[in-house]
Amino acid sequence: MRVVKLLIWTIIAVGGLYPAYPLVMGDSTVLADPAKYLLEYYGKTATLFLIAVLSLSPLQTLFPKAAIVRNFNRHRRLIGVGAFFFALTHLCFYAVYTGGLSGFFEDIGKPFILSGVTAFAILFVLAVTSANRVIRRLGGKNWKRLHRLVYGAAVLLVFHQALQEKAGAVQTVYFFAPLAVLQILRIGRTYFQPKKA
Amino acid sequence: MAMPSLIPQALAGATAGFPVKVNPKFDGSGLDLTSYKYVTSYNNFYEFTTDKGGVKELANQGWKTDPWTIKIGGLVENPFKADVNELVKKLGGIEERIYRFRCVEAWSMVVPWDGFPLRKLIELAKPKSSARFLKFTTFVDPKSAPGQKRRTIDWPYVEALNMAEATNDLAFVATGVYGKPLPNQNGAPIRLVVPWKYGFKSIKSIVKIEFTSKRPVNTWQQLAPEEYGFYANVNPEVDHPRWSQASERIIGGGFSARQPTLLFNGYEKEVGHIYKGVNLRLLY
Repeated sequence: MRVVKLLIWTIIAVGGLYPAYPLVMGDSTVLADPAKYLLEYYGKTATLFLIAVLSLSPLQTLFPKAAIVRNFNRHRRLIGVGAFFFALTHLCFYAVYTGGLSGFFEDIGKPFILSGVTAFAILFVLAVTSANRVIRRLGGKNWKRLHRLVYGAAVLLVFHQALQEKAGAVQTVYFFAPLAVLQILRIGRTYFQPKKA
Repeated sequence: MAMPSLIPQALAGATAGFPVKVNPKFDGSGLDLTSYKYVTSYNNFYEFTTDKGGVKELANQGWKTDPWTIKIGGLVENPFKADVNELVKKLGGIEERIYRFRCVEAWSMVVPWDGFPLRKLIELAKPKSSARFLKFTTFVDPKSAPGQKRRTIDWPYVEALNMAEATNDLAFVATGVYGKPLPNQNGAPIRLVVPWKYGFKSIKSIVKIEFTSKRPVNTWQQLAPEEYGFYANVNPEVDHPRWSQASERIIGGGFSARQPTLLFNGYEKEVGHIYKGVNLRLLY
């Protein structure tokens, strides 16, 4: 469906350009530390995109007849690459925030930073193996196996996001709880499918 | 260079119209002031929200900070309750001091505070010889402060200093900023300012000060003892578990503003002697 594809592209574009608004309007809460604002904004956006893409296959299993789910599922790759793009932007602003590479490497051993960097490395591998040519070369089975790494990235992100929260990981729960429920329901449906009459 | 002359001297003082006198010892020579708009719109005040940009709005939706009563008690000869304005009058008015302000989150400001030395208040209370610590408590009012509906922190927020810290010349009680009364988001109407310590020690909107013999447990130490200690002195050598404390972002400095962090936030001369022989790596 072209409309769905257009919609996803629009969300990526609007999501990517949104921070220009408070910056141009001179919002003092943003201009106080603009690099930190952008770092946090793109990190959150990347996480939401990853959660969106991981929600699609469980939704497909649970609602096999829903046309809307089917249409979005066809563009999972675009959403996944979108997540990578926002993660890359997040990483770039982290480097700006720390004041360059020396600051970046100073903290890389800390679990908070290491979990984020590892999740990014996974998304990087998945993004560069997303071209049709690479998929054909790897073969569908290997490609699928490799791309299961995305679940590892999701677990690392739960850790990474929860660590940066202050006084209780409330937002991390809001973000990831729906996905966790969907995944559990999917597993239930796949392994304990009621026998058809 | 700071320019205290920019601050209108004729303007009504921070509290009850007292004139502001600049304390020449802390006139901000060599420091660049953080502009008023950043000082008053980038605030940590979890009583309202953990979002620094959101505090300003939430703290000004009907939360009343005038009139305000503060209670002084515990191990003192002269326990008392006072209206904040009356207290300032009794202590002889206010002065202005320009201090560095360093948050544990690795950002910093330079703020012109108005207020009085904490020592003046201690002299008024006359601590008994058994008093070794000061425990500060902030307000509880979940109806006006929506962040207090979250139970992740055991409200009220408390902070504490030992007597040597509290009587140090730097320890300051602020009632204003930039020659104006403290805005709600900055801890109206009365707050602590201890510039050699991370910002969370500078407790906001104080309702009670108690003198104790045992060391109180401050809120952040209780929440995450491996991350935040009792002293919480600014120290570039001791990392936070999640980030380095060696440098800091300068608020209002644009995209690339970062500067090295100084031991005791640059106040080693004033407070270094308090911690002689203390292992600041263990007692962070």
